[in-house]
Amino acid sequence: MRTIFMRAAMARGAGFFGFWLLLIGPNPADLVAGLCAAAAATWTSLRLLPPGGGRLRYAALARLALRFGQESIMGGVDVARRALSVRLPLRPGFVVYPVRLPPGPACNTFGALTSVLPGTLPAGVDHGALLYHCLDVEQPVAVQLAIDEGLLIRALGGTHDDT
Amino acid sequence: MSLVLDIFTIVAVSAGAFFFLAGTVGLLRFPDTLTRLHALTKADNLGLGLVVLGLLPQAQQPFDVIKLIAIWLFALLAGATVGQLMARVARRERPTP
Amino acid sequence: MTILDFLLAAAAFVLAMVALGLVRILRGPEDADRMMATQLFGTGGIAALLLLGVATEARAVLDVALTLALLAAFASVAFVRSASSSEGDDPKETNSP
Repeated sequence: MRTIFMRAAMARGAGFFGFWLLLIGPNPADLVAGLCAAAAATWTSLRLLPPGGGRLRYAALARLALRFGQESIMGGVDVARRALSVRLPLRPGFVVYPVRLPPGPACNTFGALTSVLPGTLPAGVDHGALLYHCLDVEQPVAVQLAIDEGLLIRALGGTHDDT
Repeated sequence: MSLVLDIFTIVAVSAGAFFFLAGTVGLLRFPDTLTRLHALTKADNLGLGLVVLGLLPQAQQPFDVIKLIAIWLFALLAGATVGQLMARVARRERPTP
Repeated sequence: MTILDFLLAAAAFVLAMVALGLVRILRGPEDADRMMATQLFGTGGIAALLLLGVATEARAVLDVALTLALLAAFASVAFVRSASSSEGDDPKETNSP
């Protein structure tokens, strides 16, 4: 357990420092600040998201990223069409989605991912289900959400049989 | 080559500006807080993404390309997270459905 | 018209959209509506700064945009926190294990 923790700390620290170098540039005078920033970021990330859990599956993650990109474009186009239409076609309402992911980081990631879906916005939790506000409740919201959730479960290395 | 890149920039930045227009129109026209939040989070994040995409060929140094992408990714992450937090506040500010 | 003029015009347009969106601060009616206009200021401000920074080759402006992205996210999170604590935190709403 301890070696897993140390390995995660080293990997994350190296990642944060590398990212800092990319942002600020390799100037020797600034390196101390970069090391301090990377150490602080590593400490925060270990505290908020302890290592462990399943391994990420990169193929599923790539497909999820691709779908995320497509959906954010469709979501933007959809909302622009409604905003600029003369008739203002809105049928707002709430949809309760019984989420299969366990509460915690995975579920929060799902909320962030699905906030770009066309016409849906997660607006809270209600007895273990996610509450979505929709611009048009007649859209097939739950079907789209289920596709996203299946992809996310697979990307996180989940063992759900029903994905 | 430079002309092709310039046209790409013009198309992408114009599309980005269009989505900023749509986001503002939605923010002003939509009837309640939650629908306005839809307009803001979706249209503006796409607008910023397109502006960044259009600026990439114009960047002078490779470091600038990385920085532009980092800023965009951060804004995307922050927008997606803050959007749902704001939705919870907006839902609680009015009578429950 | 050079690409520089185009990028500056796009920056001015995005800023105009942000200014128009600020009307939401006057109209409200909820605090969340006013905060959303501020979020628009964050996203639009980042886009305008990036356009300006790349157009004028003032690379430090990109750092300003990065800082604005951070501060805009912090401002929204601070708003959500204060709005949640003032109404008494509903334990069902905290989505942690």
